[in-house]
Amino acid sequence: MAMYINGTGCISHQNTIDVDDFFENSRIDLLPLLPTQEPDYKDYVPTNMLRRMSHIIKMGVAAAKISLQQAETENVDAIITGTGLGCFEDTDKFLKTIIENNEQLLTPTSFIQSTHNTVAGQIALLIKCHNYNFTYTQQGLSFESALIDAAMFLNENKNSNILVGGLDEAIQPYYDLLVKAGHIKKQGDVITEIEKNKTKGFCLGEGASFFVLSTKKNKTTKTQIKGIKTFTAIKGSNDLQNKLTAFLQELNLSVDDVNLVLSGNSGNVEDDKLLNENNKHFFSKTDIAYFKTLCGEYFTASAFALWLASAIIEKQKIPKALTQEHSNKKDLKNILIIDQYRNTEYSFMCVSSC
Amino acid sequence: MVFVTGIGIISAIGKNVSETLSSLLESRTGIGKINHLQTIHKDNYVAGEVNYSLQELENLAGLKNSNYNRTTLLSLLATQEALISAEIKDISTHRTGFISASSVGGMCHSELLYKDFLERKPHKNFIDTHYTGSHATDVAKHFGIIDYVTTISTACSSAANAIMLGARLINNNILDRVVVGGTDALCKFTFNGFNTLMILDKEWCKPFDNNRKGLNLGEGAAYLVLESERVVKAENKKPLAILSGYGNANDAFHQTASSPDGQGAYAAIQKALEVANLSPIKIDYINAHGTGTANNDSSEAAALQNIFKENIPPFSSTKAFTGHTLAAAASIEAVISILSIQQKTIFPNLNCVTHMQDTKLFPVTSLQKNAELNHVLSNSFGFGGNCSSLIFSKN
Repeated sequence: MAMYINGTGCISHQNTIDVDDFFENSRIDLLPLLPTQEPDYKDYVPTNMLRRMSHIIKMGVAAAKISLQQAETENVDAIITGTGLGCFEDTDKFLKTIIENNEQLLTPTSFIQSTHNTVAGQIALLIKCHNYNFTYTQQGLSFESALIDAAMFLNENKNSNILVGGLDEAIQPYYDLLVKAGHIKKQGDVITEIEKNKTKGFCLGEGASFFVLSTKKNKTTKTQIKGIKTFTAIKGSNDLQNKLTAFLQELNLSVDDVNLVLSGNSGNVEDDKLLNENNKHFFSKTDIAYFKTLCGEYFTASAFALWLASAIIEKQKIPKALTQEHSNKKDLKNILIIDQYRNTEYSFMCVSSC
Repeated sequence: MVFVTGIGIISAIGKNVSETLSSLLESRTGIGKINHLQTIHKDNYVAGEVNYSLQELENLAGLKNSNYNRTTLLSLLATQEALISAEIKDISTHRTGFISASSVGGMCHSELLYKDFLERKPHKNFIDTHYTGSHATDVAKHFGIIDYVTTISTACSSAANAIMLGARLINNNILDRVVVGGTDALCKFTFNGFNTLMILDKEWCKPFDNNRKGLNLGEGAAYLVLESERVVKAENKKPLAILSGYGNANDAFHQTASSPDGQGAYAAIQKALEVANLSPIKIDYINAHGTGTANNDSSEAAALQNIFKENIPPFSSTKAFTGHTLAAAASIEAVISILSIQQKTIFPNLNCVTHMQDTKLFPVTSLQKNAELNHVLSNSFGFGGNCSSLIFSKN
């Protein structure tokens, strides 16, 4: 069954709101912390609601609104989100006050906005959507879980329009915790060719990417999602190759049909080993681009990759910032996204023209 | 059709199904003095604690130096019982998934280690196990479940959504068998959160009583094993119940409060009835969400009145036994609903004495035996407007 992308909205480290130049003027400015470029949120959210919203809620609601506008729809039959970290800013605020004030003088605002489903709930409130509403949190597979649910929902409810998003925030206190835990790349170790890294750690990114999906093609349709699959364990290179072969077979595609691979290298030499090995052998003749050079590493970076893949096919252009070869000659039909999170959770997604 | 072939539970009223059943049959609440949670409020409030320390829980699970937090250990223990109850010896014989639910995951460790972590040295139990989905990764790995693993976090309706998702994964032929449920450990974070909202009753909660003052928090975990018709037939299994209906909707009214007319609850129940292909009159008993807060109970009562009109089935909230176990509540109450069907017994809504003024509804307040229960509805609602309902039917 087809899953058409009829609208997208993305807030990321790049300018993904005004994408006419499609990163023509953007540069890769990898730093250990890669915050989003903020739009003027007033364009998307009523000011009275905006005041109380944390960073992730603003990003999520705005990206959702943009995707709905693009799809020329005001309401949907389902809202499904995935977030690995949840609403950390509010969680952190409430937690720190508990610790610092020894459980006294607390106010409820940050607590009530700390639950993982806050963004999906706020979108429902904003567009008055009483329909199906789900929030997933499974580290690096949070967005993929939402997308698998979306595919089932469209299968169960033909002719429906649904909103699916992946989002995570990289606020300073979280970054500080990751630095302390040794997960963040040291400033001097950051190199722009992410796949050539010889050091540990990653650059922390953040963002929100939303999609209006439907079984029906219409005038706003951009691309389609052909397949999605997740794995919680990969046993080495052979296992990964077997799983990739099976995935492509299920979609009736061969390796030669894949015009571009978006590879989820995080820049951590240990975590990327398997991906690099796989890419070298399995995709020796296929163009490979490393999307986390644009958005950084975060739990739902794969949602950014899906946005990017869809935009590349729609514009028939691979952004300069993404590839040295800059091959915009051939017909871009199928893009395969292979993502990994700390070399434990893997996912495949295939985006195709329609 | 989706069958329930195994159940496992741990909460304030027992560390397994048989202890839980005894407490329910003897109307013995698990809510009392706070012993394990190190909060400054411990002497002023009651809660439904699982009566074991972290070390004791680890011993119960037969583990040593696992470094698992309370949320993970509760999840592991209930999952273990569910798998044994379903007589599953080899996970790999069918496509098997693990769908869990939690509201705060590793917070029970995070809140103790955060300060030390920043000021001194990193601790292995933080930050990598803080994530709400971390417990699912660990528990699935422990039991060798690999075909699909995910976690749902929709506040107090989480486990209902995990159960619903499991059924849909089977109905969509993605899985043959799936362990579904939720887990939440008591922690200072949620305790203080609910306290600042001023919806905690300092004494035993009184769901659906006119003088109700709020909820009691609890902790625990419960899981069901769901299996497809094909697996049940092939293995000649005797299912405990059928998961016949499920519905999910959003109240879209307020971030934390429920709408006065219970619009979201109404829609969730309506959808569950549609999936089960049942008219409201067929429901024999409702295990209500019934938290004991003024807002929830009147909103839920309004929704029940709108669905069932004059024929409201017997209903009770069992939260006065277990406390409100948040993301685990719906799976704990799913197990209790299944026990109701099996035992032909309606477990009472404890502590309810005075009729609510704004409605004619009054729950079952004493144990009702010999109740022929063919279809039981279980409701769960949460922050963010999330409302979910499940229907369990006699096999």
